[in-house]
Amino acid sequence: MSVLLSALFLLTAVSGTGVALSRTPRQQVLAMAVNGMVLALLFMALQAPDVAFAEVAVGTVALPLLFLVVLASTKMDRSPRGGDP
Amino acid sequence: MPRGMTPRARLVLFALAGLCVLPGVMHVALHMPQFGAHPLPYGDAINAAAPGERHLTNMVSAVNFDYRGFNTLGEEFMLLCAVTGVTVLLRGQRGEGRSAEPGVTPGRPIPPRSDGVVLICHLGGPVILLFGLYVALHAMTTPGGGFQGGVIIASGALLLFLGDGYDGWHRMIRSEAMDACEGAGAALYAACGFASVLLDLPFLQDFLPLGALGDLFSGGLMLIENAGVTLAVGGGFAVVFGKFLEETRIIPEAYKP
Repeated sequence: MSVLLSALFLLTAVSGTGVALSRTPRQQVLAMAVNGMVLALLFMALQAPDVAFAEVAVGTVALPLLFLVVLASTKMDRSPRGGDP
Repeated sequence: MPRGMTPRARLVLFALAGLCVLPGVMHVALHMPQFGAHPLPYGDAINAAAPGERHLTNMVSAVNFDYRGFNTLGEEFMLLCAVTGVTVLLRGQRGEGRSAEPGVTPGRPIPPRSDGVVLICHLGGPVILLFGLYVALHAMTTPGGGFQGGVIIASGALLLFLGDGYDGWHRMIRSEAMDACEGAGAALYAACGFASVLLDLPFLQDFLPLGALGDLFSGGLMLIENAGVTLAVGGGFAVVFGKFLEETRIIPEAYKP
C-alpha cells in the first residue's frame, strides 16, 4: 500500500471519528462534508473516479445543504410579517 | 432513554452486545480478501468484453446502461418517487404560495452578501455547469456519466442561490421546467426500453449504430439513455434543492394549516 493510500485511510478514520464526536448538529454537518471530501479523494486514489464524482457532489454539496436548510428552518420564525406569530 | 436506563446500565448493555458481535466481526476481518485483490470474475469479464461488444471505453457506463440497464431503470424511478415525495411533503406544509422574503432567526441579522462571494459564485457557477455537461457528455469514453454530470450541474446551479440569493435562483431555475426535466428524463429512459421491445428485441437491447470505439458519440442507444439520466438527475436534484430552499422563506399569509 502506498504512502498516499495509507495517509488517506488515516484521514478517513480521523474525519469519520470527527463526525461521530461532533456534538452540535451544525458542527456535525460540516464534519460530514469534510468526511465526504476525504472519501472522494480516497476513491480517486483507488482509481474509482466515477464514485469520487458522485461522492463530491452528493456528500459535500447536496447532503450538507439539505441538513443546513433543515437546521436553519427549525430555528427560524417563518410566520408572515406583521401577523401574529 | 427508557425509564430506569442509567448510563452505567447502557454501558453494560453495550459491552454485552459488543461481546456477542465480536466473534463475527473477527471472523470477517480475518477472512477478508487481500487489499487490492478482486476475486470475482465479473469485472475482468466486462473489461474484456465491453470494448468489443459495446464500443465503449468507460466500462461503468457499459454496465449501467447496457449489461445492467434494467437496474438503472429501477433507480431512475426510485429517484422520481423520492423527488415526488419531497415535493408532496413540503408543498403540503406550506401551500402553493412562494413568498420570497427570508425567515428570521431571533438574534441573528441577515448580513448583505460580500462582493467576493458574489464574484466567486458568478465565476465558478458557469465553470461547474460546463464541467457537469462535460462529465455527462463523455459518459461513454471517460469516467462519469449522466448521474454524476446531473448532480454536478445541479450543484453548479446552487451557486446561483449562494451568489444571487433566493430571488436569483427563482428567476433562473423555473421549478416547472425542472419538474419537466425530471419526468421527461425518466420517461426517456423507459422509452428507450420500449423502443427495443417494439423492434422485437429484448428490453433495452441496443439497436442503434454503436459508433467507433473511443468516439464521443459511441454507444448507440446508451447515449439516449444517458441523456435521460442526465435530465432526470439534474432536474430531480434541482427540484429537491428548490423545495428545501423554500423552507427558509416566510410562510405565505394565505396558507392556513
